[in-house]
Amino acid sequence: MEKFRVLDISGDVGLRAFGKSKNEVFINAAIGMYSLITNLTSIKEKETLSVSVKSHSFDGLLVSWLNELIFHFDAYGFIGKKIDIKGFSEKQISATVAGEEFDAGRHEGKLLIKAATYHKLRIEKIDDLWEIDVIFDI
Amino acid sequence: MTLENLRRIDGTKIEIPIDYKQGMRVKGIIYVDETLQKDLEDQAIDQVANVATLPGIVGSSMAMPDVHTGYGFAIGGVAAFDLEDGIVSPGGVGYDINCGVRLLKSNLLREDVLTKMKDLVSILYNEIPSGVGSKGRIRLGPDDEKKILLKGARWAVEQGFGDASDLEKIESGGCIDGADPSLISKKAYERGRAQQGTLGSGNHFLEVQYIDEIYDEKAANSLGFFLGQVTVMIHTGSRGFGHQVCTDFLEVMGKAAGKYKIELSDKELACAPFSSPEAWDYLAAMRAAANYAWANRQCIMHWTREAFFKVFSISPKKLGMELIYDVAHNIAKIEEHEVNGRKMKLIVHRKGATRAFPPGHPELPEIYRPLGQPVLIPGDMGRASYVLLGTEKAMKETFGSTCHGAGRIMSRHQAIKKAKGRAIWREMEDKGIIVRSAGRETLAEEMSEAYKDVSDVVEVVHKAGISKKVARLRPIGVIKG
Repeated sequence: MEKFRVLDISGDVGLRAFGKSKNEVFINAAIGMYSLITNLTSIKEKETLSVSVKSHSFDGLLVSWLNELIFHFDAYGFIGKKIDIKGFSEKQISATVAGEEFDAGRHEGKLLIKAATYHKLRIEKIDDLWEIDVIFDI
Repeated sequence: MTLENLRRIDGTKIEIPIDYKQGMRVKGIIYVDETLQKDLEDQAIDQVANVATLPGIVGSSMAMPDVHTGYGFAIGGVAAFDLEDGIVSPGGVGYDINCGVRLLKSNLLREDVLTKMKDLVSILYNEIPSGVGSKGRIRLGPDDEKKILLKGARWAVEQGFGDASDLEKIESGGCIDGADPSLISKKAYERGRAQQGTLGSGNHFLEVQYIDEIYDEKAANSLGFFLGQVTVMIHTGSRGFGHQVCTDFLEVMGKAAGKYKIELSDKELACAPFSSPEAWDYLAAMRAAANYAWANRQCIMHWTREAFFKVFSISPKKLGMELIYDVAHNIAKIEEHEVNGRKMKLIVHRKGATRAFPPGHPELPEIYRPLGQPVLIPGDMGRASYVLLGTEKAMKETFGSTCHGAGRIMSRHQAIKKAKGRAIWREMEDKGIIVRSAGRETLAEEMSEAYKDVSDVVEVVHKAGISKKVARLRPIGVIKG
């Protein structure tokens, strides 16, 4: 199964993520996002970050989840490579993310993502597959 | 509903009629000529119409000729709201709060710098942190950050970055009143800690340019411009600090819109009544981010002056490296405007639009009061940028606003595809432009063809009379993130 693909949006960048479960599609959206920031093959699982996010809606949960990871990158340079979801409901998610601190000397800098947006946001189950469309402001 | 529903008003603007979409309270106006109309996206038109449905909107929902699809509000959008029944929306400002442009001049001529451009560009690139994951040269404690939020560019000057005389040549004096550091989230502080004095990435840049054409001799003289003169343009904003403020307040405003029963056609239009605590909190936080951005451009300008000193061994004062002006193009401000013959205070949202106040306006510094406000319009890295002046007509038609840049026409993916197998840096060098960029794909994404021709955009605002051309600047050295 394809995990994610980049959507061609004029001006910014989008992502379509796939997953057999809600857990999986949220993980794939996050990994897809990290792959827009840098080339993940050069990232090692050196440290682990715990995150927990709440929101008032399921759409909001996805946006907050991605924005939480953007925050940890933008403030502390943390890039994730592997994600385990520990708890998941319609309005709350907690997870551990394994990765390392971005080093401009060793890692390729691709896109500087400012935020995940609600613009054309889509979370949908089609047959047995979950799909997410999300657009990032860059 | 698309282009055929629009009505051309004259050679420079079209109208989106009030019945274009249900719920529109005012009409929409897009400043485009027939050439730029061809690039107009249906979605951008729709967004201008959506903004027209928001409570308390005054006049019309407007877009400048560099309009393109944004989130909620279109980029290039201008919308003013009544203070009594109007709203405030973070989407009308954008994620990069007080993204803006500053221009400084020198008394160097193009021929003085051409042989030294490679050195100059490389020193600028090393002195000014840019690109994904880059850290600034300044480390801020929580108290320092709070001071930045309250003082803006003045904080930078107090730290030795530039002169006090720079401040009067910055929109709002480089510091907008009413910022409240206590409304800023811990996350925003953490993102802002290492990003003061950094350029960022994407379309942000620092350019060494020269003046290659003067359209208004008298105005150019007053600004100290002459043909062949070297200038430097800096385009950046409030960095991660501002992005986090916007992210935080979209959540707050999403809830507020429900609480105040404001019907939204798009979640990114989340807003609250001007008189509500949510709106006041956002404005106070937005002003803090705007001040962060003014300090940022001030620090970067200081290091630019230092880089010139390193290369030419002449002090910045002797090089005449004076600030011309600094404008915000993503901001919401309370301003006084005349509506139907009556003076009114309005909250004007400019998202990818530049303030363009006319001669005599009380908010202009004394030195520019006879002339009008300098308007700085950056183009893509291969073509040109412009200096214009604000006009009385802008005051009457657009709440004193004009365009802010070129506007993309190609997606990043299309640009990368088009650049495949090409060395963009070499193509630029062949045109006499030395470029350095942190990101491998940045140059492809940012190549000239990916943008509308800024000259077409500027021609529309000039012909429409909402600002008037003074000079054109050509790039010779470019730093990109």
